[in-house]
Amino acid sequence: MSKKMSFQSATSLFIAAGLLIITIFLPWWGMKFYAPQYQEGLNIIVYPYKLAGEIDIVNSLNHYIGMAQFSEESFPELQFLPWIIAGLALLIVFTGLLRKMSLLYGLIGLFILGGILGIYDIRRWLVSFGTDLDPMAPITVDPFVPPIIGENTIANFVTNSYFSYGSFLLLLVFLLLLFPLWKERHQ
Amino acid sequence: MKKLFSGAGGILAGLLVAFVFFGSSSLGAEEQALSSENKSNAEAVYVPHGEHDEYYLINSGGHSGQLFVYGVPSMRHIRTIPVFTPDPATGYGFDKESKEMLGGYTWGDLHHPALSETNGDYDGNFLFATDVANNRVAAIDLEDFHTVDILEVPNIGGPHCAAFVTENTEYIFLPTRFSLPFDTDYASLDDYSEEFRGVMSAVTFDQESKEFDVAYQVALPPWSYDKARAGKRDSSDWAVISTYNTEEATTNLEINASQADRDYIVLFNWKNLEERVANGEYEEFNGEKMIYPEKHKGDIYLVPVAKSPHGIDVSPDGKYFIASGKLAPAMTVFSFEKAFEAIENEDFSGERNGLPVLNYDSVMEREVDPPGALGPLHTQFDERGNAYTTMFISSEVVKWEYETGEVIDRHDVYYSPGHLVTPHGDTADPQGKYLVSLNKIAKDNFLSVGPSHPESMDLFDISGDEMRHLMSVPVNPEPHYGQMVHRDVINPFHVYEMDESNPNAVYDQNDTRIERDGDNVTVYGISMRSKFIFDAASERPDVIEVNEGDTVTMHITNTDFDQDIVHGLGIMDYDLNFEQMPGQTKTLEFVADKAGVFPIYCTNFCSALHQEMTGYLMVKPKE
Repeated sequence: MSKKMSFQSATSLFIAAGLLIITIFLPWWGMKFYAPQYQEGLNIIVYPYKLAGEIDIVNSLNHYIGMAQFSEESFPELQFLPWIIAGLALLIVFTGLLRKMSLLYGLIGLFILGGILGIYDIRRWLVSFGTDLDPMAPITVDPFVPPIIGENTIANFVTNSYFSYGSFLLLLVFLLLLFPLWKERHQ
Repeated sequence: MKKLFSGAGGILAGLLVAFVFFGSSSLGAEEQALSSENKSNAEAVYVPHGEHDEYYLINSGGHSGQLFVYGVPSMRHIRTIPVFTPDPATGYGFDKESKEMLGGYTWGDLHHPALSETNGDYDGNFLFATDVANNRVAAIDLEDFHTVDILEVPNIGGPHCAAFVTENTEYIFLPTRFSLPFDTDYASLDDYSEEFRGVMSAVTFDQESKEFDVAYQVALPPWSYDKARAGKRDSSDWAVISTYNTEEATTNLEINASQADRDYIVLFNWKNLEERVANGEYEEFNGEKMIYPEKHKGDIYLVPVAKSPHGIDVSPDGKYFIASGKLAPAMTVFSFEKAFEAIENEDFSGERNGLPVLNYDSVMEREVDPPGALGPLHTQFDERGNAYTTMFISSEVVKWEYETGEVIDRHDVYYSPGHLVTPHGDTADPQGKYLVSLNKIAKDNFLSVGPSHPESMDLFDISGDEMRHLMSVPVNPEPHYGQMVHRDVINPFHVYEMDESNPNAVYDQNDTRIERDGDNVTVYGISMRSKFIFDAASERPDVIEVNEGDTVTMHITNTDFDQDIVHGLGIMDYDLNFEQMPGQTKTLEFVADKAGVFPIYCTNFCSALHQEMTGYLMVKPKE
């Protein structure tokens, strides 16, 4: 009863799966901190499996306002996120091989759900780091929640949050998943 | 009569008007010209915020034992590098490593800095300097501008004549100012000529292990060796040294060492000496390989020169060596090629102390004697065939062509210049853009600070035919000589890398600890914004508890791997302090011989809570 998709649609899925695997090794999201003494900016760059940037320097500054320390250990997601991505890629390949549209609908649903969960997760961490400040900290600041995208000012720092290459590629993967819907629309 | 008066009055009034009008307007034009020249000079030295100077000028600090780093053309003092003298600001001579390196000396006399070279030009790796007072040679690593090794050289009497390096830094040569008793520790000055020698050392520096070694020494005659240079290009296997007191006087040298009409330039082939040492043609002397020129002939020659020369410099093409006759008013240009020919033909005028003396007329190319220019001392070069020589007595710099002897330009300096520096000015590839004369006297150049004056420097733009005086600046004493090097040649780092192989380093605060072994207490701690952690597991992690008489060793690592986040560590009443660069581990070793409670605090302003960066050294009194 479910329609079989065309070869082109299946190819689109295979490409999507490949790109999805590549995103594991690309930065997804980042935050850049600027201050008078740090004109060049300090980075926190989030990959699906690691953190990069000047994490230690950011930590040594954040401790003055009582913010918890960033580290790869403090984000359990970094342990399992690559496997989830790889699993999703496998499901995409599977769908491409079986050429079943019904499976594709499921996949798209899963992808949207994953996206919402991902954004919720970032937001959750931003709230946690910005509001759960150590009351013993030498400098008292009002709790704050930096935006997922855009600017925020806290003390002498202006932060700029942004999505990065991995996320852009993720969007492309999503479009490739939608391609069969358009391709098969007349059949 | 009335008519006459009114006529005369009219003429007078006319003259007055003319004088006031034209007189003042011509004065105005002169002032205007001066002020626009000042403005254009100001523009030539102004380096706006966000931009950097084009050249480093690294000056000797003379009897301060330090080096001073300036930027050219702004002439701003950027940094002081302690070399032969302890420096509380950086903790140099306080922490274990630098304390051992200084060897207990509290002063040094740093004279002539020399940058390491590759193919006859600065390579930006290391800078070498000697201590005339205590017979030491030091290397400064230009990756972090810190002194990395000091060697005390035996058998020598003040390496004033150093340091100069060979074309690829194979050797750093250290000829000396004083001759000393040779075979014995003590000898009568009556036996000076027989018992004394002026020993020259050939020192090598291993750029990997960053260590000096004495390769060999040469027992030269008992004279004073003043300045020296290695050859370049075709003459690169050779080197030249100026001498004075070939009279071998032992008292009142001012008079007695100025009697002979001629002293000598020592011309030697260091490649030959190297080969001689490799062939075992030397004698063991007091732990060193000693070459005796009167026994091992064929490598060292004397060239007669006008009395008591001072500077000796080699032209960038390596064809000429130029001696400046401190007491004679001329610069004498000698030809390496002619000297080699004279050696080949054994064109000697005699022998002195077993060394062949080359025939002056066979080697001399020309004598250059600018009228009224007195006391020539030192010469630097540009890439256009010009030489620039300081005149100490007539207080000026003379620009002249070394191929023709033609004087191109002269300019006053303020006052009494010793050395001068042009960019890469003593290498095979000079960059004739600026000239800095290093003056011995400042007089009333600057705001008065009483009888103690700074020394002074004059900056010139030498890119045109005429030398343009841009400004005079005060300078830390004493700028004997400097090295001016293009900023692109120097590549310093900013943060020390983590070194997991260093057993004294601690990078994770959870690894901090205090260990006790009998009377020895060892602290493995960290400094970070804004606290010390000596033992993270302790109730008070920033407190060290010891007993009176314990030997305390503190290994502290600055774990702020962030540019220019520097911590200090001072201990009150214990006369201890050091500064710590980002990522650096330093060790302090001392005996806790005073009982009491001694605050420990960060001495280098590090952060908003720098004042809170404190701890205690608790020394429990003996029962």
